[in-house]
Amino acid sequence: MWTLARKLLLHDRLRFTVAIAGVSVSVMLVLVQVGLYFGFMDTASSVIDASRADLWVGKKSNESFEFATPFDERTYYKVASVPGVERAERVLMNFAQFKLADGGDLGVQVVGVEMAPGKRPLLAPWNVIAGDPHRLTEAGAIVVDRSEYPKLKIDRVGHLTEVSGVRAEVVAMTSGIRSFTTSPIVFTDIRTARSYLPQLGEEPVTYVLVKCDAGADIEAVKARINALPHLAAYTTKEMSTRTRSYWSSRTGVGAGFFTTAVLGIIVGFVVVGQILYSGTLQYIREYGTLKAMGAKNSAVIKVILSQAMISAALGFVVGAPLAMGMRAAMKGANLTVALTPELYGATLVITAVMCAFAALLSIVKVLRVDPASVFKA
Amino acid sequence: MTAALALSESFPALPSPTEGVLARLVGIGKTYGSGENAVTALANATLDIRPGEVTLIEGPSGSGKTTLISILGLLLTPTTGQVWIEGKNVAGLGERELPGLRARNFGFVFQGFNLFPALTALENVAMAIQMKDPRRKDPKGEARRLLELVGLGPRLHHLPADLSGGQKQRVAIARALGGNPPILVGDEPTAALDTKTALSVMELLRELASSAGRAVVVVTHDPRLERFADRVVRVEDGQIQATHSIDPRST
Repeated sequence: MWTLARKLLLHDRLRFTVAIAGVSVSVMLVLVQVGLYFGFMDTASSVIDASRADLWVGKKSNESFEFATPFDERTYYKVASVPGVERAERVLMNFAQFKLADGGDLGVQVVGVEMAPGKRPLLAPWNVIAGDPHRLTEAGAIVVDRSEYPKLKIDRVGHLTEVSGVRAEVVAMTSGIRSFTTSPIVFTDIRTARSYLPQLGEEPVTYVLVKCDAGADIEAVKARINALPHLAAYTTKEMSTRTRSYWSSRTGVGAGFFTTAVLGIIVGFVVVGQILYSGTLQYIREYGTLKAMGAKNSAVIKVILSQAMISAALGFVVGAPLAMGMRAAMKGANLTVALTPELYGATLVITAVMCAFAALLSIVKVLRVDPASVFKA
Repeated sequence: MTAALALSESFPALPSPTEGVLARLVGIGKTYGSGENAVTALANATLDIRPGEVTLIEGPSGSGKTTLISILGLLLTPTTGQVWIEGKNVAGLGERELPGLRARNFGFVFQGFNLFPALTALENVAMAIQMKDPRRKDPKGEARRLLELVGLGPRLHHLPADLSGGQKQRVAIARALGGNPPILVGDEPTAALDTKTALSVMELLRELASSAGRAVVVVTHDPRLERFADRVVRVEDGQIQATHSIDPRST
């Protein structure tokens, strides 16, 4: 069956090429669009995912991770004193103005974390590729990602500038830390962050990161914190999912990417369906002859499905490297296309299903061929 | 060694026919449409198909020849009458049972060859053998044997486009012989061929009938083919008008 299917497909090289091109474009679109979506979502939750906290505690009224309302320091102490909490650390997040070298300003997302000498914080800049992140304990020390250097007009570690009119010195550089809001993330110590964000009042805190006692029931600790007024606690995984969902649904980014991916599937479906159908029509008398001679419908259907599967496999083999090329090209534009083995696997399955469905019309045509029709020359 | 002897050694003995008949049509009628639009294509046709016999079915266009062989080949269900194959009336059977019966009992040869252009002669025959019987071992070996039998040993790996009309029809005959069916049905198998080639194809069919007790039923307009036949059945206006046997000595 495979031999017949392969030869029937290859007999008309042009038609075969169009079929493979259709499937390849479809595969590439699905991989790139879904990969871009996952890349954006990874970006949206990257700060949360990088933390070592068991729980994230914020105001109950917070809808998004980035635009959270701060509370005062007393609330932090209430959380820290909840039974089962081994360690609690403050995070302050908000937007501030970064002074550019050319005199202009750019909005940045300040993330203030609790840095202390000799202690590994629950949240700190990661993927550090230059400089010394431990210097964040110094007043005015900040860490910025390499990808944001052009936007912030920074050319080196040691660059001096101002955030909200307060001194700032780049002490380290990271790689691959970007914000979903497109405002560059500026890591600093919470004390420096407070000086950059005076509009938030005295000793503001946006989140409390909690590490539970060894062996403690995290859900029980979470419930105890949730019992405190105006607070909501989430596990790190829940917080990550919540943030991804927020950006996916509120911005319509999920629907946008998946619509394009579905369009890709439709393009592939139509092209493969058309190619298989025209091929089936071309050989309809031969298929009818086989049926007249006693070949069962199932045998003929196998030939057509085999053609569909060959198209799917070859289309994937061509489309997947195209998607990898697109990923490399998009990297230059600071866009992350998250192509995971799971995504490749799912796309291969989707492609096979798409091609199988595209073969349905051809299968119906062959099923309806009256074997007696072969006598009507 | 004569061609007939070579052919007889190439096939196992065919199953014994019931009462010396491989297939029997009794009082067959076929009507298309209904009511005022009803058209009777065939009426009260009775015909026995015997082993070793070459039967020509002649008649003008639209006379009912194709309907007759379609019903004989179990490709068309008759409106009335009985079709006896393998000792039982199969006229009322559905598409679940018929493919198996067709595969066991019939091979078909067509005017237009109906070969897959993308497949070589060997692959065309092997694929048909495999589709008739998916459990068949070494379909290519059997296809090679059949193609050598019809004189196409040197053309096994040629595509249909690289074969002459006569060679294509020989491939089609080899394909029809796959599974060793007792009855070969041809629908104008020589119509697209020149005289010399047509006669050689008919000679081959004659040998296949004589050597292995196989029945060959051929629809034709060509009276020159009568020299290869044992019997001529004349169909006109949906009725079998006459059946006459040919005395081999007269040809």
